[in-house]
Amino acid sequence: MGLLKKKDSTSTRSSTSPCADLRTAYHNCFNKWYSEKFVKGQWDKEECVAEWNKYRDCLSENLDGKILTRMLEVDSELNPTKQADSKESSR
Amino acid sequence: MVKAYKQEHVYKHPWERVSAASWRKFADPENKRILSHILEVDTLNRKLDTDTGKLHTTRALTIHAPGPWFLHRIIGQDICHCVESTVVDGKSRSMQLTTKNITLKKFIEVEERIRYDPHPENPSAWTVCSQETSIRIKPLSALASMAEKVEQKCAEKFMQNSVKGREVMERICRYMEAESAPV
Repeated sequence: MGLLKKKDSTSTRSSTSPCADLRTAYHNCFNKWYSEKFVKGQWDKEECVAEWNKYRDCLSENLDGKILTRMLEVDSELNPTKQADSKESSR
Repeated sequence: MVKAYKQEHVYKHPWERVSAASWRKFADPENKRILSHILEVDTLNRKLDTDTGKLHTTRALTIHAPGPWFLHRIIGQDICHCVESTVVDGKSRSMQLTTKNITLKKFIEVEERIRYDPHPENPSAWTVCSQETSIRIKPLSALASMAEKVEQKCAEKFMQNSVKGREVMERICRYMEAESAPV
């Protein structure tokens, strides 16, 4: 369903994403950081790195490559300057 | 042929709370019933610029978008993938989201731009949301002959979903306000 490779053709509209739990963990961490730190001016440090890495690894394994390529194409259309930005704050 | 629609809404909540609510909009379990057309939301990329306080995010949205019967005959699917690109400027307190469809790009381009800024008359307590949606049927595509009808249908759907989205945002803001109130 969604972005993921079609493994099960009988999957329904309910959330069957294998990365759903990792996604929730990451989003919860991010929302907390955003409300408690980022909007209060504390943006000196990247947080939720562990949660992000686990979630991202799961997405990489399960994402439909064709759709992802098209997404990234559109994203680069929307953000032409982002490509030139060499600052990588998450290592 | 392009159709563009602008809407503006004032949230009587501070920008910090409204921008935080925006991140929660699709995932909030109570509100999923209202925004049931949003099937999945995944974060594809996120980058924080620790010098400028700018947060760049790319998300993938999977939406259930059944169209009129004639669309389904041509397209054969009800699922639409979109990319949402967001920049939050922590210093100037501004959040800008741009969402574009990936699916059916050859036939139709829908772009939705949303901005959340502190309200000029009450910057510490209120937030202005400006939303602009543009719908463009690609010429020479199979849809071109019924472009106006399709654009109209899309626009109606978008307006309905915008209203639902605002309703959800208001709920989340009230919930967050209650959470932060002193006991």
